Amino acid sequence: MPSKPNLRVAGPPPEIVPGGPLDFDELFARYGRYVARLAARLLGSGDAEVDDVVQDVFWLASRRLSNIADMVQARGWLATVTTRLVGRRLRRRRFRRLFHAGARNNDDVPAPGATPEQRALLGRLYEVLDTLPTEQRLAWSLRYLEGEPLDIVAAACRCSLATVKRRIGAAKKVIDEVFGND
Amino acid sequence: MTDPLWTVLGEKVEPTWAPEREWAVRAAIARRVGRQRALVRTAVGLASIGLLAVGGEAVLRWRSAAPLSPPVASSTIAGASATGTASRTGPAPSPDREAPAVTVTELSPGTVLAPLPDRNGRGFALQAGGARFSVPHDVDHPFVVTAGDVAIEDLGTTFTVRYLNASELEVAVEEGRVRVTRAGANTEISAGATLRVPVAPSVESSREPERAAEPGIRPEPAEVSSEVARRPPSARPASANAAWRPLAERGQYEEAQRALRKAGPSAVRDDTADLLLAADAARLGGNPAESVPYLERVVRAHARDPRAGLAAFTLGRVLLDELGRPSEAVNAFALARSAGGPLAEDALAREVEALFRAGDVTRSREQALLYRRLYPNGRRAKAVARFGGLD
Repeated sequence: MPSKPNLRVAGPPPEIVPGGPLDFDELFARYGRYVARLAARLLGSGDAEVDDVVQDVFWLASRRLSNIADMVQARGWLATVTTRLVGRRLRRRRFRRLFHAGARNNDDVPAPGATPEQRALLGRLYEVLDTLPTEQRLAWSLRYLEGEPLDIVAAACRCSLATVKRRIGAAKKVIDEVFGND
Repeated sequence: MTDPLWTVLGEKVEPTWAPEREWAVRAAIARRVGRQRALVRTAVGLASIGLLAVGGEAVLRWRSAAPLSPPVASSTIAGASATGTASRTGPAPSPDREAPAVTVTELSPGTVLAPLPDRNGRGFALQAGGARFSVPHDVDHPFVVTAGDVAIEDLGTTFTVRYLNASELEVAVEEGRVRVTRAGANTEISAGATLRVPVAPSVESSREPERAAEPGIRPEPAEVSSEVARRPPSARPASANAAWRPLAERGQYEEAQRALRKAGPSAVRDDTADLLLAADAARLGGNPAESVPYLERVVRAHARDPRAGLAAFTLGRVLLDELGRPSEAVNAFALARSAGGPLAEDALAREVEALFRAGDVTRSREQALLYRRLYPNGRRAKAVARFGGLD
């Protein structure tokens, strides 16, 4: 039986008071780094593209502040928007590769604390992820690279729990085949 | 490879999220928000223009269909080819696309106004009653109203001429200036002023003196002289306080500045356009220090206005270039920069210069490095490198 991933509860930091009015500056200060990290893990690409995603996400947030109830909900909302925008970029990237076969550069992955072996492994992993359908890739990355629980992954991918399990399973099968599961 | 190991590996993916990067992203978001607002404003403006055009056309059609028998007529006359008369007894003048439009409003049913020959619609003879003229100034084609032996020439203005009685004429100026000529003597009067001048009765008005005393025309005592009768401040209309505005709009900044000083700060409305115009009058009229409160007012009280960035940038320039106050200029340029838009790059460059002039070499270098990062091919890179010590 495969072991469970390292689950982390996506609760709010203790200082967040639910239900308070949402301020854009505060939102950006609190979650800017989180969105950048999530985008980097989903994209597996360099700073420029990550910055673009962060910019897109918070620009949308600036227009929809009234739709976000409080800081607690903001994290989930930002995760959903980030996932959607990254998905769009990944689809565009796949489309471009149909015409222009650009090789992935392992140095693109922003992993300053990784050892050379880990960096090589990450490079190889993102090469495999690039071959997967975008929905499967996003679901697997949220589950295993970001360590999100299944219900959060389903919410971020805007699909049912069953669908997200199916997508993760399909992606996992390919990845296990490439890397082995021992 | 087990699943928890992927999570451990995923945690290694961590972009460096430094304050400069955060700032650059926020600045980009601010620019996008600004662009979006500008887009919305443009769309609203175009929609408004469209609605006004449709509404105006509807009104014109309605007016052309309505019978022409109003007791008080108002007409717009296009100068060069105006062949009719603005008096209620005359036919409506034909429009002209080349000459600026003159708007004539008759003030009483007894008004008799005849076009002067050879003036191409830029001259009228007031024979009885009174009329209000709104006239775009045209140096080549001065607009003249004659009443008996008095000639009133516009200098870009809106003014009213009416007979108080058979021997006295009142000229009241709402905006701009007019020149009144009688018996070879010229008197110029400006906005808010009223001139009462004796007039030799014209043929028409001597024949019908009763017209001047019709309802709507204010009788005045006969002993009123022909000097400029300025109204007391309490009764002075808003246009008297606004005399500086048309001067500033015409680029006569020194005169505008003098008029503004005379009228006092209350003559400036608390809206961005008026505050910026007053700042221009002060700055370009030779008193840059007096522009500072107006610009600060825009920056502080109208910070959401899209022109606030421009105001902040102008404030920075005044403080740095005109007043030699670089420390304060730093803050102004920082505000202009945070407003985003096309001035952001220049604002950052000037901020570097202001920091250098204020003696803050460390920060000027930091900001110069930020400039280099944000605008690697920036047009002010050379100056920034010099002031930031990057050479």
